[in-house]
Amino acid sequence: MTEQIATIDNKTVSVRRGETILEAARRAGLDIPTLCYHRELSPEGGCRICLVETDRGQIHAACHTPLQPGMEISTSSPRIGSLRRDILSLYLSAHPADAFRPSSTGTEIEQLMHRLGVSSPAFGHTAESLPGDESHPYLRFFPSLCINCRRCLHACEEIQGQFVYGLEGRGSSTHLIFGPSSRFADSPCVSCGACVDHCPTGAITDTDRIDAPPPDAVVQSTCGYCGVGCRLDIEVSHNRVTRIRGAPHAQVNHGHLCVKGRYAHAFHHSPDRLTRPLLRTGDAWQEIAWPEAISWLSRRLLELRDRFGPHALGAFTSSRSTNEAAYLLQRLFRTCIGTNNVDCCARVCHSSTALALQTVTGTGAATASYADILLARNIVLAGSNPTEAHPVVGARIKQAVLSGSSLIVIDPRRIELAEYAGVHLRPKPGTNVPLFNAIAKVLIEKDLIDESYVQSRTEGFAELREFLHTLSLAQAAEIAGVGQKEILRAASLLAKNGPALFVSGLGLSELTQGTASVMAFCNLGMLTGSIGKPGAGMLPLRGQNNVQGNADMGGMPNQVTGYQALTDQDVRGRLEQLWGIAPPREAGLTISEMLDAAANGKIKALWMQGEDVAQSDPNQTHVLEALNALELLVVQEMFFSETARFAHLVLPAAGVFEQEGTFTNGERRIQLIRHAVPPPGGARADWEVIRDVANAMGACWKHETPSEVMDEIARVAPKLFGGVSYARLEPDGLQWPCPTPDHPGTATVHSDGFLRGKGRLVALDFVPSPEHSQNGYPFVLITGRALEHYNVGTMTRRTPNRDLLPADFLEIHSTDAAKYDIKDGQTVQVQSRWGSTRAVARVSDRVSPGTLFLTFHFPETHANLLTSPYVDPQSKCPEYKVTAVAIEPLRGEAA
Amino acid sequence: MVAQMHNVRHFFEAHQGSNSPLVVIQQFVRAHGIPDPVQVKQLSQEVALPEAAVRGALSYYSDLHQPPEATRVCIGTSCVLAGAKDLLAAARRLTQCRGVYCVGFCDRSPAALRSDDRAVVLNGHASPEPLLDPAVLEPTRPAIRSVARKTIVTRRIGRGDFSELGAARGDGAYATLAKVRCMRPEDVISALEQSGERGRGGAAFPTGSKWRRCAEAHSDAKYVIANGDEGDPGSFIDRVLIEDDPHSILEGMAICGHAIGAQKGIVYIRSEYPRAMERMKLAIQAATAAGLLDDFQLSIFPGMGSYVCGEETAMLNAIEGLRGEVRLRPPYPVVEGLFGKPTVVNNVETLVNVPWILEHGAAGYSALGTKGSPGTKAVCLNHGFATPGILEIEFGRSLRDVIERDAGGSVCGQRLEAVLIGGPMGSVALPSQWDVPVCYQAMAERNLILGHAGLVAVPEGTNIRTLFLHWIEFMAEESCGKCVPCRLGSKRALEVAQSAETSRPLPQLERLFDVMRQGSLCAFGQLMPGPMSQMLKHFGGRILQ
Repeated sequence: MTEQIATIDNKTVSVRRGETILEAARRAGLDIPTLCYHRELSPEGGCRICLVETDRGQIHAACHTPLQPGMEISTSSPRIGSLRRDILSLYLSAHPADAFRPSSTGTEIEQLMHRLGVSSPAFGHTAESLPGDESHPYLRFFPSLCINCRRCLHACEEIQGQFVYGLEGRGSSTHLIFGPSSRFADSPCVSCGACVDHCPTGAITDTDRIDAPPPDAVVQSTCGYCGVGCRLDIEVSHNRVTRIRGAPHAQVNHGHLCVKGRYAHAFHHSPDRLTRPLLRTGDAWQEIAWPEAISWLSRRLLELRDRFGPHALGAFTSSRSTNEAAYLLQRLFRTCIGTNNVDCCARVCHSSTALALQTVTGTGAATASYADILLARNIVLAGSNPTEAHPVVGARIKQAVLSGSSLIVIDPRRIELAEYAGVHLRPKPGTNVPLFNAIAKVLIEKDLIDESYVQSRTEGFAELREFLHTLSLAQAAEIAGVGQKEILRAASLLAKNGPALFVSGLGLSELTQGTASVMAFCNLGMLTGSIGKPGAGMLPLRGQNNVQGNADMGGMPNQVTGYQALTDQDVRGRLEQLWGIAPPREAGLTISEMLDAAANGKIKALWMQGEDVAQSDPNQTHVLEALNALELLVVQEMFFSETARFAHLVLPAAGVFEQEGTFTNGERRIQLIRHAVPPPGGARADWEVIRDVANAMGACWKHETPSEVMDEIARVAPKLFGGVSYARLEPDGLQWPCPTPDHPGTATVHSDGFLRGKGRLVALDFVPSPEHSQNGYPFVLITGRALEHYNVGTMTRRTPNRDLLPADFLEIHSTDAAKYDIKDGQTVQVQSRWGSTRAVARVSDRVSPGTLFLTFHFPETHANLLTSPYVDPQSKCPEYKVTAVAIEPLRGEAA
Repeated sequence: MVAQMHNVRHFFEAHQGSNSPLVVIQQFVRAHGIPDPVQVKQLSQEVALPEAAVRGALSYYSDLHQPPEATRVCIGTSCVLAGAKDLLAAARRLTQCRGVYCVGFCDRSPAALRSDDRAVVLNGHASPEPLLDPAVLEPTRPAIRSVARKTIVTRRIGRGDFSELGAARGDGAYATLAKVRCMRPEDVISALEQSGERGRGGAAFPTGSKWRRCAEAHSDAKYVIANGDEGDPGSFIDRVLIEDDPHSILEGMAICGHAIGAQKGIVYIRSEYPRAMERMKLAIQAATAAGLLDDFQLSIFPGMGSYVCGEETAMLNAIEGLRGEVRLRPPYPVVEGLFGKPTVVNNVETLVNVPWILEHGAAGYSALGTKGSPGTKAVCLNHGFATPGILEIEFGRSLRDVIERDAGGSVCGQRLEAVLIGGPMGSVALPSQWDVPVCYQAMAERNLILGHAGLVAVPEGTNIRTLFLHWIEFMAEESCGKCVPCRLGSKRALEVAQSAETSRPLPQLERLFDVMRQGSLCAFGQLMPGPMSQMLKHFGGRILQ
């Protein structure tokens, strides 16, 4: 077939099916001016600036007219030129005289005025200036600058999926509205800022843009909040972070961000940042110099090791800090001290997920990637509320569903994405195992499984089938509190569209049946033939920016860097060669075991890197006792945290924008972070401090840069990281496994068969939590996050996000609220068997009757005074998601 | 990333059934009045649309933000020429009133709809009292004549009321459908193609090829929509067809459904035609109960007061519950229409032709009219003519014959200065231009647009400035607001025409009309400046004082 062609400004262009004149022209290097068009958004076709003329005198809008074979297009005939000027002139007629000035450096519309030579409206104008909206902590709207181009509306719909914007009126009175009003503050806006990025006139903008001087530098880095790992462009002026944008072409976030990543950066320059090491003697805190701090600490560590033995010391590596810092800290404890008492906060979040995935697939990490969300035809979301906790992924799931993917949501709460689900199953908290078993039973017995996948790629099917055969569907449904019909609907929807993407969160992991929950979830993944295929597989959403990396680096008591067994001879040989000594063969203690051991005097010293256990760990009363009992507590922190109060030495840490290093996101992608601003005062990067302490203890570590640390990591764990080096990490990092320098990284793990050989199907009995059905405690409490804040709020509480959500809240169903005479906004006393606290009630049918949901962002609430000491017996993950509580409204304390 | 409001609608359509948001909102407004912000929130949850979308719809459609109990005084072109603006002002002193663009009684202007939905025609007397007089009778059918060799469009309405199923069947309704059901869809489409029928809504697109493209689209669902949004002031044939011959329309739709493979049909009827809505509802019930439609499901969607919704993509948005703004094309509705499914939208008159074509054969049809415009056309004559009413002609008849012989010239014998053809998107035809056959191509060559073939007489002495300002106001109010030339150009033109201060208004207006004509997104913005420019050209001195 001969190539079909057309001409644009006498240039011959090939005609591609579906391509618009504008796209073809840009491909040919011709620039047609536009205003309402943005290449990331669907064409609006309203501004008519991109009009072009054919040789037959027809006029077309280039942005939405397909290029047809034989067309002869002129993009800049005199007729078109005058038409464009008149249209732009019409725009100006609807705005105050001083709204826009032609400028080659101004906003898009001002640049267009400059380019087309239009400075004043040819038709006169009548518009008056209108006041701006300043109701929101970040976002601003200036109606006098709004040209109704609707790019904000498209961005909101097509990127975030929030549908905030609309148009009111008709004809010439048509104007932009925000949800129920004309103010950001009253709208359902989630402050993602996508509209700000796309506004061509400055009508929609934000405080960062209004206040910011022109940047001295733009530094590309990775977000320090959740495990999505969005890439950022950080604008810096006079050594301060002035504003942040999503890196436009980043594979992870495609330029998109959330309210935390984009706006919550003020904490870096908070006046209460720690700037000097602090040494405590009795109750007195004293600022000391770094050399003194390093030598004091190294001396103290050696002293305690010699006095109590190496296993009396332990470290919590940080999921917020870099891979390099986590790696060096575990190496310090494993070699300079000689203990495997190293653990990280993955223990208290996704340890169950990692253990389950490792057991059944061979890798303790996501098998799929975020890119699979838009490829998926079928998504199962369980125990995760991504539109709040992982907003960029949440938005993408919404887009996938609105573009035709089916969605099953399994969550006790009616989370936002439940509105988009074909089926929403609402199990009682902590009853995933019987529910997943029931779905698996239906899949098998109705012959809805991928038979050939199960036969060729898995093991344990016969046992599972037999086990499920004896399982009573009615009983399972009863335990989970879900109707049998709903289970049948979910199973048939799951089976209908082929392989599915299984997205999960801490609602599966943080339970006494956490490991079993995730394994049962993986059973569904294997029965439907989903693991190891594009657009499908297991995609647990990781909580912290580097919780994946922290475990990868060896922040685990039973495995060393790269999930290598402590007992493996090859591994030990390699470590001896690289580290000079191999770590002990015996596994160390987990976080909760170390805290228990501290409380009963067996652990004497703990080094806590950026983790505020006094606020974040369960059964807080017990945690505080443990911290109090220590001979030495070292804390590396940016702020004087709740935990720092118990420390003997506090080391001021550099923040995410103040150092170099790498983070590994939830899809195993190792990405660079870059030094954008200097740390305040004497705050230092964690990895440097650890290196110096090790050297002071007698080691001879020669790393000058984090890049050299990564080179060492590649040698220590070659199977996963052998091909990783800083030179390869721009712009989008590498997804491990990446064993060799020429390996491209791995988006889909297990695509050529499971890494452990065969995928393992597991028959799992259900053991209820001890917190289920406690007499006198009629409610089950779930703890979790809200969009505006991040975990214990150390960072977000020091930003204007605090104005968006100033306090924790307790969700309670309206019937329960009525029963206890609790009004919205009233303070409620919450009591568990382990402690009590107060929280402000939010009456909401997002929770079921009998279930409560409490956020844990504010130290005033101490949500973890309530949570129990129970952990998953296999992973040791605490049970944050199920606590039996009683409630009582406090009279006279309505907010 | 692709999700737009359309996807949301498609999504909720698929997941929550076919409840139409606009109908839910309309019922609310009728029962409780204009919703306050709390009620908007509740409504948005009920119809599964964001609050901004509900507010957008409420403010877009006149019926949803104006008092439902108000008397609707027609301020369509014919009525304005008969003094409707003064009538509206006078009526407002007596009762709650609002102006609406055309209630379809142009043959007896001015006219109005009372709060009980009954029409009142004043026949040249612009006095408000009859609007409140309960003794005034509902208007009868307009005069209907045919000068064609074969009477097709008015074959039933010319002889009386065939809205009742028994009467319609007695006259042969649904007999063709029964035969067509035994034909292959391909043969039905071929017959339509060979007949050469062109759409009667104004755009004159060949009906057969529209059906073919939709038949060829693969989909689990398809729709047939009858466009009964006869907005063009000056025409009322569709109103009379829906009221008195609804079964021909339903039969045409069912034939289309058979041809393209659609199971659902929707009759879109503007709210300014309440009696048509009622008659069609009864007709659908009767035909369904009698099992005549087989598994073809029919329903009515009521317009909510928007001229642009007569444009097919705006109509699709309205049915989906969105603002009645036009969509970008491609994709065309035949490929991606209602709820994203392939959809044929045909004008009511177009559909009435369909059973006749299949009954009498494509050759019998194409033998009528001209080669490029086969068949017949219903022409509507307003009260300014000596013999107003509906006139069926064969395409090709001279316009002068229609005006001077068939319509008898002006009602009072004055000279006609011009005739307005095809509503505000049509043309202004001066007497010197009348020697042209009524058909699409010959008229196009002379820069005349037939549109829906409503003819409004402009007798000597007409206040041309009033008429001109009325049209610009109409455009500024009815523009959907999506594209800038139409949205801001109409407003600016109105300001220029009204202002005494503009130094050279004529070139300013000509330049604005030029931008609108060349730059607008849809036919509304592209075509409306046409007749206004023609007026400026012929009567400029009388328009701009």
